[in-house]
This record gives sequence, C-alpha cells and structure tokens, in this order.
Amino acid sequence: MLKNYFKIAWRNLLKNKVYSSINIGGLALGIAVTLIISLWIQDELTHNDYYQSKATIAQIYQSQTFNNQTSTGPAIPRPLEKALRDGYMDNFKHLVMSSWNNSQYLNYKEISISKSGNFMQAEAPELLDLKILKGEKDGLREINSIMLSESIAEALFGSEEPIGKIIKVNSEFDMMVTAVYEDIPFNNSFNDLEFIMPWEKYITTREWVQNAIDSWGNNSFQMFVQIPDNTTMERVTETVRNVKKDLNEDTAEFNPQLFLFPMEDWYLRSNFENGQQVGGRIKYVWLFAVIGIFVLLLACINFMNLSTARSEKRSKEVGIRKSIGSQRRQLINQFLSESFLVVLFAFVIAVVIVLLSLSGFNDLARKEIAFPWSSISFWGISLGLILFTALLAGSYPALYLSSFRPVDVLKGTFKAGKYAGTPRKILVVVQFTVSVAFIIGTVVVMQQINHAKNRPVGYNKEGLIQIPTFSDDFTGKYELMRSEFIGSNAVVEMSTSSSPTTEVWSNRGGYSWEGKPEGFQEDFAWTTVSPEYAKSLGLKIIAGRDFSREFASDSSAVLINETALKYMGLTNPIGTLIKDDSEEDPDPPLKIIGVVQDMIVQSPYEPIKQGVYEFDKYGLGSYYNLRLNPKQSVGQNLAIVERVFKDHFPSIPFQYDFVDEQYGAKFASEERVGNLSGIFTALAILISCLGLFGLTSFVAEQRTKEIGVRKVLGASVFNVWNMLSKDFLKLITISCFIAVPIAYYVMNGWLQDYPYHIIISWWVFALAMLGAMGVTAITVSFQAIKAARANPIKSLRTE
Amino acid sequence: MITIQNLKKSFRTEEVETLALNSVNLKVEDGEFVAIMGPSGCGKSTLLNIIGMLDNPTEGNYNFAGNEVSGLKESQRTQLRKGNLGFVFQSFNLIDELTVFENVELPLIYLKMNKSERKQKVRAVLERMKIAHREKHFPQQLSGGQQQRVAISRAVVTNPKLILADEPTGNLDSKNGIEVMNLLTELNQEGTTIVMVTHSDRDSHYAHRVINLFDGQIVTESQNRAIGAMV
Repeated sequence: MLKNYFKIAWRNLLKNKVYSSINIGGLALGIAVTLIISLWIQDELTHNDYYQSKATIAQIYQSQTFNNQTSTGPAIPRPLEKALRDGYMDNFKHLVMSSWNNSQYLNYKEISISKSGNFMQAEAPELLDLKILKGEKDGLREINSIMLSESIAEALFGSEEPIGKIIKVNSEFDMMVTAVYEDIPFNNSFNDLEFIMPWEKYITTREWVQNAIDSWGNNSFQMFVQIPDNTTMERVTETVRNVKKDLNEDTAEFNPQLFLFPMEDWYLRSNFENGQQVGGRIKYVWLFAVIGIFVLLLACINFMNLSTARSEKRSKEVGIRKSIGSQRRQLINQFLSESFLVVLFAFVIAVVIVLLSLSGFNDLARKEIAFPWSSISFWGISLGLILFTALLAGSYPALYLSSFRPVDVLKGTFKAGKYAGTPRKILVVVQFTVSVAFIIGTVVVMQQINHAKNRPVGYNKEGLIQIPTFSDDFTGKYELMRSEFIGSNAVVEMSTSSSPTTEVWSNRGGYSWEGKPEGFQEDFAWTTVSPEYAKSLGLKIIAGRDFSREFASDSSAVLINETALKYMGLTNPIGTLIKDDSEEDPDPPLKIIGVVQDMIVQSPYEPIKQGVYEFDKYGLGSYYNLRLNPKQSVGQNLAIVERVFKDHFPSIPFQYDFVDEQYGAKFASEERVGNLSGIFTALAILISCLGLFGLTSFVAEQRTKEIGVRKVLGASVFNVWNMLSKDFLKLITISCFIAVPIAYYVMNGWLQDYPYHIIISWWVFALAMLGAMGVTAITVSFQAIKAARANPIKSLRTE
Repeated sequence: MITIQNLKKSFRTEEVETLALNSVNLKVEDGEFVAIMGPSGCGKSTLLNIIGMLDNPTEGNYNFAGNEVSGLKESQRTQLRKGNLGFVFQSFNLIDELTVFENVELPLIYLKMNKSERKQKVRAVLERMKIAHREKHFPQQLSGGQQQRVAISRAVVTNPKLILADEPTGNLDSKNGIEVMNLLTELNQEGTTIVMVTHSDRDSHYAHRVINLFDGQIVTESQNRAIGAMV
C-alpha cells in the first residue's frame, strides 16, 4: 500500500513540475533556514561544554550600590581570597585568583609573538580540567613556570620539545615551560587563554598588586571557583554573600553583595540591571528560534495552499479510490505519505543548501560551526523535523482532500464550496503578516545600529592608531619615542593612556571635593594620560585648559569630561581640588584644570560615563596613541612607524589597532543580528512570494475560461490584471494592518534595552507596507499579465 | 440481491429543495441485468449512486444482499462495498498517474490481497479483456474503448456480486460500445448481477429488464424478450 502511495506521489511530482518545484523549493529553503538556525542555537547552547565540570564552576561576582544604582561585575578585591580561604573553604573544591586576560610578548630565540593569557593560581588547570598534552598538570607550582597552549607551543618551538625551554616574557622575566595543554575550542570561555603564568609571579612583579593585599576598595582582580558536588551555587552564594560587607567597614556603605555566577550562565545570561540578572544573548537565541519556526511555517503554508488549491485536480482520484474501496483513513495516509516524500526531498536539498552556505554563515555570525555528519542526535532531530513538517504541511490538505464525496467528484459536478478558499486566504494573510513584521523588525534594527553609529563620538577616530606597551622595554621611553615618531613625519601627535581609547579599564571612587553632597557615592571612569592626550585624539577643551609641560604643577592636575562636570555638581570647575579619601594617600590633591568634551568610550548605546583624565606622572601608560600624518597615505605612515618602532624595540612584535576599527567592533553583535535577520527576512519574503506565485498561476488557470469570455466581451489587459490581483492585494493589506501593531510592540520593547535609541517613525511602517504591496504586485502580475494577454480563442478552447 | 422500498432522495440548496427520487420501489434478483433509462435529470444516476452505496437515501430502505444499507456511516458503506461492488463509469475514471496494471490492481490492494495473488488475478482479467499487452501503459495512452475495457477489468477483478455501470458506452464510438456491452453481457451470463444506467435504446436491449424513470419515480418497467439481440 505504501509503495502505491509513494508511486502516485512520485508521478504527481513529475507531472506537475512547476508546483513541485515551488513546493519542494520553498520547503527546502524553509528547512535550510531552520537547520542553520538550529545549528546556530545548538552552538550557542553548548558554549562551555568543553568543561566537564561546567555545572560546578563559577566566577565570583560583586554587586555594589552607588547613589541607589547597583552595578554588578566580576571585579573583586584581593583580600577576599584570604577571607574565603580562611573561613569558607569547605564550600569550595577549588578557588583560583586570576589577573585579567592580557596580551604579553613571548620571546624564544628569534621568535617574538604577542599572545593573551592570565596569571592564575596553581589550581587553575585542575579547575578548568585542561587537557595536558605534554608536561604536568600542576605546572604552575614553580614561580618561574609557564603553561602554553598547543598552538603557542608550536608557534614558538615548532618541532622542538617545548618542556623545559626558557622563554622571555615582555623582556621582563624568564619563564620555563612546564606544560602544554590542548587549545580551548572556539565556542568556550577561556578560548583566549593562550598561556598561564603563576599568580605569585603577578604579585612579585607588580607593586600595585602587592599593595592591594589589604585593599578592599581596589576591585581589580577576578576569582574563579569550583564547588563540591554536595552543594549548590545558591547555597554557597548565601554563605559568602556578605563576607566583604562584614569584614570591611569602609566599603560597607556600597552594600557589596558577593555571589557565584555559574559558568552555565556566563555566555547567554550575563546582563545585569540594577543588581538583577536580566538575560543577555539568550534573547537572540529566542529571537532566532522564533524566526526559524516562522520561516518553516511560511514554507508549510505554501505546501498547504498549493495542495488544497489543486484539490479539484485530485478530486477525481479521491472519488475513484473511495468508490473502489478506500477508507478515508487510507486516503489521509496517502496524502500524508505524499507530504512526507516532498518534505524528504526538500530536506535533502536543504542539507545541500546548508553545506553550501555554512561557511558564509560562519563568517557572518562569527562562528565555527561544522556540519554535524556524525551526530546521532542531529539526525534524530532532523528526522523529527521531517515528520513534524510533513504532518504540519500535510495534515490540512490530507483532511481536506480526503473529505470529498465520491458522488460529487465522479459525477463531475464537484466544485469547491463558496468558502473553500477561506483557509487559503487566512494562510496567505498569516504568511504576509510574518513577512511584513520581519521587514519592520529588520529596518528598525538597521536604523538603531545606524543611529548609534552616527552618534557624535567626541573625538576624531580616523587616522588614529594605538600600540600596546605592556613590556618593561617601554618604561621611561615615552619622550624619546614621541620625538622619534613625530620626527619621522609619519605621526603628527602622540600620547599615552592607561587604557585603550575605546575602553575603560579602571573605575574609581573614594574622593571628595568642595560642594560634594553629603552621602554622595561617586564612581568615575579613570584614565591616566600623558599631557598630549586631548590633542592627539582631537578632544575639544570646552573650559579651562589642556595639560601643559610648561607647568610643573600639572603633575597633580586632572581633566574631567562634561558629564563629570554635571555629575559633580560644579559650576566653576577650574581649580577645584579632588582629594583622595584614603588616609594613607601621600599624593597632593588633584586639581581640575580643564573640562573636555564628552567622548564615547564604552557602549555607544549607553549614556556617557563621568570621566577623569589624570596626568600620568609615573609613565604607566599601557598604550601609545598615534595620530597619523593626514598628508601621507596610511600605508606610508605605517611603514615608517613600524621602522621606528623596530629600531627601538627589535625584540617586540609591532602590533597596532586602528581606533575606528576598534570602535566599529562595538556594533558587531548588533550588526550580526541585523545582517542575519535581514537575510532571513529576505528568505521569508521569497518563500511567501513563491507561494503567492503558485497560487496566482493556479487562479489564472482556474479562471482561464472566464478570462477568455471577459476578453471577448471587451476586457482590457488591465481589467484582467486588476481582477486577478486585487484579491491578493486585499489580503496583503489585511496582513499589513495586523503586522504593524505587533511589530511596533515587539521592536519598541527591543529598543528599550538601549538607553540611546531611536523612536520608530511612521515611515518605517509605510515602507514595509509599500514594500510588501510592491513585491506582491510584481509576483501576481507575472501570472496575471500572462493570462490576460493570452488569446481568448485559445483559452475558450481549453473547455 | 437488491430490495429498495419507498426510497426518497432530496437535495437542498440555500433556496430550493429538489426531490431527485420519489418513493422508488425496486427489486433486483441475483444474476439479473437491469437497465435504468429516462431523460436527463430524472434521477437515474442518483439511484445508481445509492445502489452503489456512494450516497445515502434521505428516506426509505435499501437492502443489499441481506444488509440494510440506509443509515450506514461512510466507513461502513465502504466496508460493504469493498469486493462486492464494481463500478463502470461513462468517463472511465481511471487514475491517470497509475498504469493499466496498477489501476486494475488497486481494489485488490484495498482488499489487502498479497502481491503474487494480485498479480495473478490482474493478469488473468487483463488477458480476458484482451488488454494485457497494454498493461504498462498509462490511461492517456489508450483509446476510449481500451480505457473502458481497463475500467471493466478493474470493476470485475474482485469478482463482485454486482456491477454498476453508468452509461458505460456514452463516451465510445459504436464499435467500441458494442464490444463493451458484449463484455458486460458475458459477465452477466457468468452470474454477475448488472445494473446499468443508459440513454441508449440499443444498449438497453442487452438487459433483461428495463426500468424507466421520470421525475424521480419509476414510471414503467418492461422485460426484454430477445436478450443479447445486438450480439
């Protein structure tokens, strides 16, 4: 019986090539989109699956409240380690202090590379369960040891045995390779952990770290923990929540709350708003899951519509089968088998589409997804998807077609009832509602990205490069390098800063100034800079003056930004003294000498934070900021800068970033979402139009005789076009009116996540509606005009 | 085999109700060949459809081989129809996507007969209908006469007790028409009961009995003396 069903289905597919192509092609596109989205979601959900103990690993996070605003983050103070080890260690299996992930220069013989890694305590390899390829897992025991990832070991030593080799770090100290571990795969945290050095080395080589041993206010470190199997994150959180608050009075006013932020949430649920966890990337997982389901639904609707539209053609077969003994159930099975066959074909084509587009998709989505040929669960889910789609697409046609009465169809008097087309109309409305909503959504996302991109950045980011200067080799060489670079004519100005132009690495509080309101808990973005900072960035001074080398007193001077001016409530800022509240601070108070224009440093979607730029009297800059000579090409300038750099730092790789590119990277996540949703919208519209095209050709065919008679009676091509098109255009109009409020509601909610956002304007809706109408008119016209221009004699003869 | 009493069938549209059959009483014995005649719209096909259990009467009784049919659900009617009834239509009603062999095989598939038995039966009936050489062809590749022979093959392949023919020669030229009527006669002579709707006086002469319908009622009934007169 099944063979018979498939035989008929196969022959029907071959007989009606246009319908089959539309059905299979549309479904293949829909399934391909669903498959790609599923692979993407799978990749998102399996982030950090490399770590077998994922469920028990956490990072210690801290929430603090300043002026009733709670901010949450991973930065913790150093004394917390001792407190937890002394009093709470039975809550933890492992506890690891760590520096932030930073680039360092690694040298071996002639080879010098810049790679990122951390200083971590000895239990780190155990906590992360690193797969040791060579050497020992406890490779951080010795203070001068270093553990390398496989690819770094290969880059430095090639085929030589790495264990026991000595490498120089930052031209600062020698470290012996004690272990090589497997590279941590792409979709995992610590993917950029390319080497690990002992925490003790961090302490002994950095005075500020040593000084931080008792400083509860210096939140400059991070801590990772693993809990034993017999407890939970929540329980341990409850135990340690108030440790800092209880042990340190000075910071208690900020109500520091400690908690364990589980590794399982790091990637997808890492956003906090006023102390509450409010999701994160998980919203994109949901968004794309919904898109995937809708695109598949659109393709299924095509199948349903085209199958039922062609019902009159299949009615005779239904009648005959029923008259010679077929039960309705058997007919339902037959039509479902047909739908299964179509979906199976579509799936095979979809897999081909996925294979062809996966690499492009990976580039766009910044992923490294491979097609899961050997994954049993993938094929299992795919089979489920095929069955689900076959049922979804095939059930309505199967129930509809199998319901025909044989008497009617065999007598030849069968005509689909007056309302038989209604479900089809409803389905077309559903399709275009989804498509129009997608169009609106994509336009809003794009607009929002452009809105943020066009936001005045506050400085001139073009022609500005930054060079990291982490090595000790740079110490005390700023003046020399400045004169060398400027003298080379490739650079017109240069400065140093303690953090990159597009980031803030330090936030500080604990200061007082005249007029500071009682109980005010300040929090500044703090950057130490050389005197030429504003000049090299093109930052405007709007009050007071810039730093000057003329005034020795400027070594205790600061510039503040416009937001800080308002934040501090100053009316005459120039000359105001800012005093460090800590008693042991030996430095004189800082004097405000100027106010600079606000510049966007962190998120372009957020309000600008109050910032202080302190004169870098100790030469501690982490970056050189170079304003390239605009009169020469960038290529020329870079070649000269590299030559000058290599003259002075031969053992350090020349590494630089364009500030405008770094700034552009801030939009990457939203741009990726925008691009992906743009592509999926285009596919959704294409699928809907394919269906519409099939339906129009069906209607034109069904009304061939009517069109012929009308033409004989004098109807023009336009009259016929109008007759065939207006029904569809009416449906699309209804779709638009349904889609607009839904899209407005959803997108307006999405925009609320961004403090700096657009107001959705009416023309977005008008554009989406016009677009949908236009695409419909073109799709329908193709068939309508073809039918309208046919010779009426021919069409009448078809009777 | 068939006993019909006081059978009524009406069709209702939004505005009017049409009485297609009005108090029809009819008996058909085993092995009979009955022709139903009458002008267009008199209810012939409606009666045939009810006899063929494709439709239910509005009122009255219909007994088929000892089973009361009126009031049965569609699935029950299908069950009773299977293997007991064969249909021959004016427009042949073959499934275009199936070959001659597959069309004839279809009722046997619904009877869940095994493959080898099916094959044997289909071959035998196609041989008998002299169409075996065309078994791999599709209906569109055959002449009207050939198509009707395939349709008759399909109707008889299950050895039904009753064959219902709805103007079986209506779409055929006279030569093919005669061939088809001869086939039906042959089947009848072998014991199959036949009820045939026709407009053709010539075809009606093949039947034992001719029933004339007018406005949904049987108006006359006549016995044919010279059976197979046209053979």
